[in-house]
Amino acid sequence: MTPAERLAVAERPERRFALALAAPAVAVLAITTTFPLVYLLWQSLQNINLAMPGMDRFAGAENYVRMWEDRRFWGALGFTVVYTGVTVALQLVIGLGMALLILQIPRAQWAFRIVAIIPIVLAPVVAGLFWRTLMLAPDFGILDFAFRSLGFGAHNWLGDPRLARVSVIAIHTWQWTPFVFLYLLAALAALPADLYEAARIDRASAWRRFVHITLPLIRPAIVIVVILRITVALSAFAAIYAATGGGPGTATEIINLYAYRVSFAELSLGYGASAAVVLLVLTMAVAALLFHLRRAG
Amino acid sequence: MRRPAGTGALRTAILMGTAAVLLAVWTVPVLWAVLTSVKNEKEVLAYPPTIAFDATIKNFREVLTGPTNIVPNLTSSLIIAVATTILTIVIAVPAAYAFARLKLPGRKPLGFYVLATQLVPPIGLIIPYFLIMNRIGWMDSYRGLVLIYLTFSLPFAIWLLVSYFEDIPREMEEAALLDRASRWQAFWHVVLPQARGAIGVTVVFVFLNAWNEFLFAVILGGATVKPVTVSMYNYINTEQTQWAQLAAAALMAMLPVIVLGIAAQKHIVAGLSAGAVKGVTRR
Repeated sequence: MTPAERLAVAERPERRFALALAAPAVAVLAITTTFPLVYLLWQSLQNINLAMPGMDRFAGAENYVRMWEDRRFWGALGFTVVYTGVTVALQLVIGLGMALLILQIPRAQWAFRIVAIIPIVLAPVVAGLFWRTLMLAPDFGILDFAFRSLGFGAHNWLGDPRLARVSVIAIHTWQWTPFVFLYLLAALAALPADLYEAARIDRASAWRRFVHITLPLIRPAIVIVVILRITVALSAFAAIYAATGGGPGTATEIINLYAYRVSFAELSLGYGASAAVVLLVLTMAVAALLFHLRRAG
Repeated sequence: MRRPAGTGALRTAILMGTAAVLLAVWTVPVLWAVLTSVKNEKEVLAYPPTIAFDATIKNFREVLTGPTNIVPNLTSSLIIAVATTILTIVIAVPAAYAFARLKLPGRKPLGFYVLATQLVPPIGLIIPYFLIMNRIGWMDSYRGLVLIYLTFSLPFAIWLLVSYFEDIPREMEEAALLDRASRWQAFWHVVLPQARGAIGVTVVFVFLNAWNEFLFAVILGGATVKPVTVSMYNYINTEQTQWAQLAAAALMAMLPVIVLGIAAQKHIVAGLSAGAVKGVTRR
């Protein structure tokens, strides 16, 4: 036996043991996710409408062609991009700003750490309901009241298409900025203090210290938090569902809401499936791109 | 170079002011829910809103003992979250150990597979699940919801645990193997006790996510199995919203996760990001 063969034989029990440990997890994932996704793909090629049972038939690419011509689909795709881009950018800017600010006031840190945890652990549906009722409801919500008292007038926050979009973006940003804040606070707190001392002695301005020292050092943390936030924003559902249900009309439909409403309100499960397939492909493509960029960077 | 006198004080004032505003932005929605939950009908609807009022626990009593009480829903959520957590831990811990420590054949592609399953958008799963569950008669059942909850809890738990397992020193495990312990004995008696903390953190996360889930619950649930996130809609209907009861119910529903979150505060962010920092695909 060559040494390589002997090593292979010696490692055989370990390999077998490893397979036995990993097999249940892989099997469960195959049954619970891969199989349903294959079914989804098949479903997207069918004409399935629950309102017309017994009329199911193979439709080929019909659903995809219909989607290509559906302005509502393009609107949902566009708002998905805007929603993801804007919420992630806002979370990053506000979260980083807060982290830098709180580092300056060490005595207040504990309060912020506890306050920041609450939105993160709140169920998104509850966050959406709190905002819809307590904060934004006309003649009831306190944000609405604050705006009126400050002389900005009454607004139909969730009833006006443009304001509704702003509102659902604000709700998502409210809920998840604390995550970015806590994550970047941990990254900043781990930076070596002597670097700053050296820069301070060199009389570098605060802004230059930030751009040339802090930012490059926490870049990996920023990249990771952006990847995490993008994947979460792309699968957002419950907060928008609770706040606007995708409305008024179709104004706040991201693809998740669009596919949900098509499938479960209009009962066209075949067409809804094709929208979900598009979202699946989009998510995987964005994730692959981000991981590739992370490797390259 | 000395700063001109007063600049320091001004700077402090601006910092503190900004901090106070931020603190308000993130506390007001929850604090306002707390205030609303202890108001009576008249004060709830008072506009401009009142802050000073006669506090009452009537809404909480209604939510816990009234005709539309959420106790069955809390029970449903508890059963689902506990079952999901136990199954996830039992399946994910051995798998994570194999990924992190052992010469697992096909480790890299399998790692990518686990990662990919974590990225699947929930809407892509619920549409086929709806038809499948209808066909096999698992709608409105605990097994149906627990099964679909594994789709998000399992990949997440594996990722999280792998990053922890990689940090456990190898020496004790190697010593046990030299002492002719079997692989299983080394895993069970040496590795697992060292991973207790990691498993604890994973339990918190899986429980939290299962408790808070909404999309799967609203579609696969029904009259028998109706998790508490869905039951919020008991207090909202087309004629009127019962604001104070809604606030009380939401607070009762969120109490477990808020307590859990604050208790496990230190681990939350580290844990949520651990998978991305290291993860299955490293090496």
